[in-house]
Amino acid sequence: MALGCKMRNFLFLICILSGTVAYAQQDSATAAGDAAAGGEQQETAAADDAASGGGEKYPGIPTDQASISAGQELFEGNCKTCHNIHTKLVGPALANVYERVPGEGEESIEWLHNFIYNSQKVIASGDPYAQKLWEEYKPTVMTSFPFEKEQVKDILAYIQQETIKGPATASTETGPGGEVTTDGKQTGISSTYMSVILGVLIFVLVLILVVLILIVNILVKYLKDKEDLDEADREVIEQKFSFKDLATNKVFLAILTAIFIAVVAKTSIDALFTVGIQQGYQPAQPIAFSHALHAGEYEIDCNYCHTGVRKSKNANIPSANICMNCHSVVKTESKQIQEIYKAVEENKPIEWVRIHNLPDLAYFNHEQHVEVGEIECQTCHGPIEEMEVVYQYAPLTMGWCINCHRETAVNADGNDYYNKLVELHNQETDEPMTVEDIGGLECSKCHY
Amino acid sequence: MSSIQKYFYALVAISVLASCSADGDNPGVEYAPQMYHTTPYEPLSQITNVEAGEWASSDEDTLGEFYNSNPYNPHNMTMREPAENTVRYTGTAPMPYNIPKDSFDLAARTLTNPVDSTDAVITQGRALYDRFCLHCHGPEGKGGETGTVGKVFAGITSYSSIGVKDKPAGHIFHVITHGKGRMGAHGSQLSQEERWKIVRYVQILQKK
Repeated sequence: MALGCKMRNFLFLICILSGTVAYAQQDSATAAGDAAAGGEQQETAAADDAASGGGEKYPGIPTDQASISAGQELFEGNCKTCHNIHTKLVGPALANVYERVPGEGEESIEWLHNFIYNSQKVIASGDPYAQKLWEEYKPTVMTSFPFEKEQVKDILAYIQQETIKGPATASTETGPGGEVTTDGKQTGISSTYMSVILGVLIFVLVLILVVLILIVNILVKYLKDKEDLDEADREVIEQKFSFKDLATNKVFLAILTAIFIAVVAKTSIDALFTVGIQQGYQPAQPIAFSHALHAGEYEIDCNYCHTGVRKSKNANIPSANICMNCHSVVKTESKQIQEIYKAVEENKPIEWVRIHNLPDLAYFNHEQHVEVGEIECQTCHGPIEEMEVVYQYAPLTMGWCINCHRETAVNADGNDYYNKLVELHNQETDEPMTVEDIGGLECSKCHY
Repeated sequence: MSSIQKYFYALVAISVLASCSADGDNPGVEYAPQMYHTTPYEPLSQITNVEAGEWASSDEDTLGEFYNSNPYNPHNMTMREPAENTVRYTGTAPMPYNIPKDSFDLAARTLTNPVDSTDAVITQGRALYDRFCLHCHGPEGKGGETGTVGKVFAGITSYSSIGVKDKPAGHIFHVITHGKGRMGAHGSQLSQEERWKIVRYVQILQKK
């Protein structure tokens, strides 16, 4: 009976454990999925414009190695940001470009030179091929590059070499596209590994338990058959577990009640302390913006979007035009990004849900803390660069503020305003001057 | 009351108290909500539901205690943009920058940098560059994929490329303000003075 009961409890425990493992797995899988979706390359539709490899040597383009390597250097310093050889990037693929443009031999090289020098002028002159390009790529204007004609020839020499090589070899040099998406999945692998280990551990524990039960059973059976046992030993062997006895046992009940009261008291007091504290508040936002992607993976500085953080009381929630600095180009197909476009079109702000909120009775200023106090954003907002959805990290209670003011030393270097204060402070003590020492605990600093 | 009942009530009390704490979409219970929700318009928060917090309201008006939005503004916003052509007054602020978006040449010809190229300015310019430009243009201003955003944003200009390395200060200032090609306008994020400081640093990167 006793063993049966234990067994059932144990099975229950296993159920819970395996449930947790399954949940953890699911969780990490979605996280990896999100990361992969986030890292998706915007410029995927490129192959459509790919020109095939091969081709003849074109008259007028130098073929010597010096020209080709000079051309390669020029291409990588100037052209590569917008042009690939075999795939369309911002501008068209450049393979065979000398054959595609109007004119023969020197004429076509001259045409290219003019176009690179000032594309708008060629387009304005009514050249049909230039106009066709403009129709396809407008409103993107090619930057003007004041190359010498010889430099254009060098670049063409490099392009010709790459064209003849064909896309297969070239893609190994210039194709970073695929690598980006794999980065986020690393965590998924390690957590699967963890759950496999956990599973094996549980299995081994169950096995040990079964073996122990068997051993106990065999021993009990063996002892029962023995004749020469005294009364006390026999009692132990034939002992039966009884809930009824336990429920009427005063000592047991007293202990149980004491534990229960202690747990209730602890939980109640803890719960009462959370009243009025929004730590852990993590509301769903109208657009699933991920700080883990923007601030984490792409390392965009907090200040880029939260423009007020160094010059105002409020850090500021960015308006949609700041999103558009990148999202005019990046991930334009995404449903979430379409929401930004809608907001811009209707000139209607996105209604983000406010998370951090101090009551009006307390004054807080971001500029004072970030610009002057040089405090990192993460000190109060936690590991924001790892948050898919932002939650309130700090309790934002008065005790929390005060504690930081007591512990934080003031950096007075290069600020003459503090000279006399530092001098006076150093006469009294060797401890560094904290915010408390310069009046950071005065009531009226924050409450007025 | 039997002891079972006592236990039961204690458990109910715990579960009620446990729901006080914030979690997910639930901001938790507020102590004295009238002190947290202000009557004046609050920038960066807006509650358009007139019934929100009606239970805590002791005013004679029919609005809930938490209601915070201005029905006379577009989209009931609590904030308003300043009137058109407003000049920001800070004592030293220059006049608004009004060279049209596509007049790169005009800007390049007519503008001169009002901040000198001192060490302090370069340091500040660099700090600003690191916050506002680095993630695209990279630590050396080489563009392409040297910045972290270059992985997903193609066509980022290198300052030292032949078409760009000789561009004058006015051109750089104009591009930061209004954007060019695929680059967006950054005039709303940076003051004129800050833009001129960045220009000083970018001019160093042009020569790298």
